[in-house]
Amino acid sequence: MLEVRDLHSSYGKVEVLRGVSLDVGDGEIVGLLGRNGVGKTTTLKAIMGLVRTSAGRATFDGVDLTGIAAHKVPGRGIGYVPQGRGIFPNLTVEENLFLGLRSDPSAPQRAAVFDRFPQLQQRLSQKGGTLSGGEQQQLAIARCLVMQPKLLILDEPTEGIMPILIKKIRSEIRKINNSGVSILLVEQNLITAFKICSVIYLMEKGSIVHRSSAAELKSRPDVIHRYLGMAA
Amino acid sequence: MKERINRTVLLVVLAFLVAAPWVLPAIGFDYWLDILAEIIIWSLFAASVNLLFGYVGLLSFGQALFFGMGMFGVAIGIAKLGLGFWPALGFGMTVAIGTAAVAGALAVRLTWHYFAIITVVFSLIFYFLALSAKPLTGGDDGTSFSMPAMLEAGGFELSLTDPTVQYFFILSVAAAAYFLKYLIVKSPFGMALMAVRENDVRASLIGLNVYFLRWITFVIAGGFAGLAGCLFALFGRYASATYMFYHVSGEGVVWTIIGGAGTLFGPAVGTALLIVVREELSNIWEHYPILVGLVVILTVIFAPKGLMGFWNALLDRLAPAPADRASGGGRPNGAVDAAAVPAERRTGP
Repeated sequence: MLEVRDLHSSYGKVEVLRGVSLDVGDGEIVGLLGRNGVGKTTTLKAIMGLVRTSAGRATFDGVDLTGIAAHKVPGRGIGYVPQGRGIFPNLTVEENLFLGLRSDPSAPQRAAVFDRFPQLQQRLSQKGGTLSGGEQQQLAIARCLVMQPKLLILDEPTEGIMPILIKKIRSEIRKINNSGVSILLVEQNLITAFKICSVIYLMEKGSIVHRSSAAELKSRPDVIHRYLGMAA
Repeated sequence: MKERINRTVLLVVLAFLVAAPWVLPAIGFDYWLDILAEIIIWSLFAASVNLLFGYVGLLSFGQALFFGMGMFGVAIGIAKLGLGFWPALGFGMTVAIGTAAVAGALAVRLTWHYFAIITVVFSLIFYFLALSAKPLTGGDDGTSFSMPAMLEAGGFELSLTDPTVQYFFILSVAAAAYFLKYLIVKSPFGMALMAVRENDVRASLIGLNVYFLRWITFVIAGGFAGLAGCLFALFGRYASATYMFYHVSGEGVVWTIIGGAGTLFGPAVGTALLIVVREELSNIWEHYPILVGLVVILTVIFAPKGLMGFWNALLDRLAPAPADRASGGGRPNGAVDAAAVPAERRTGP
């Protein structure tokens, strides 16, 4: 579905991505892990067309994404929830949800959102910025799902969220995946990654250094310690 | 409740505007009908600034260019090309919108102060061109013309030379333009514009073509300014390059900010208030713009959403909607936003 091959990218003279390759297959939840500053977010931005790549390619269902403008990527079926959620704080919840649609939302489109996120329905006229962190995260994910993506890219969805809500978001991600949406997840939270990902990539200094199933990685404390600097 | 109050106020204002040709002379304000017509025209110009600044976040100091293009289009159309009333109006609109389409394609590549600067530069270029193209524009003297009839059938003739006809023509064109603006900002397209204003990167991440949205808004705004220019030319039977100067653009910005950028009727409120202030105060005190400057500073600090924002906040307090009451105790938006978006590029202050 998503194939990233030997992606390079630089901020000025600093090379941030040095040949990243990864795959997300149909119906998979793939985790991308690594310490701060290794290029996880840049990888996602390169896929979304937000940073320019100098070499390599990212293709989605066979279509090269690296050449096309950022605003055309969502239309190809990729939803992206950036780090820090990226909602519009001064627009209402309702406006936030249906911004991406070309016309007013239909009843089934509205129902699909509110069945999954009933809390949002109670807050429709509230400004996005007044929601709690967890609710903002739900709003950001819901907004992507309105566009009916085939792949959902989540950048640290559990960052800065109450532990009690992390569990909820985790199960939400799993449910979304069960409805047929593939997921690429950047995570710092190892437990979340182990619990929901089927495949995990580890990144270090702009390239992928390890790929294995979650179960396999769990049994390799040396690898975890080396690249993530913590015990599982 | 809030909507009912707003609707009532709107109806009262509309009723006043419709009755004005009879009410104003009756209470001894004869010459105010012309000032009212002028306010209506300039409020369209402020609406043009507002579409760009209030809805896509582009602060233009060059809208006078399109105002002037509409103005010269009508004046040259009638005086030099011998066009009738409606063709001249169409010609003025075409010139204004055409200029906006070309200038916009270049200008909206930039944002914030760069955008403001390039719009000033564009309007200055055309200001000096208009001054120097004396055979076409009349240079310093401008172009004047005599009013062709709007409608001629048999012995009947309808023309703007009748002050009441002129007033209602201006009022109905402006009302139609404001209705169009309402349709634009309430549509999904208007929502998309607001997303671009709030954060252009996020807007492109939900599939919105930021460049195109900014460009098309620039063209529509150019159309509004051009329409105001056409009406003003017809109103004064005259076109002059002085109306293309960026000072005029700046007035539009001031009216919009004081009235309330990003609100439907804010610009009209700001325009009305400041033109009335100008008419009344300029007789007594020639340095009255100092007061206007002070009001702008106070507005920006204490009522950043202008008079309409202030009015809406007042209504919210008097008659809160149930949903707003439930939300109470929300955190300040700015703080949440800044904390929530560490890694992303934020556009604008």
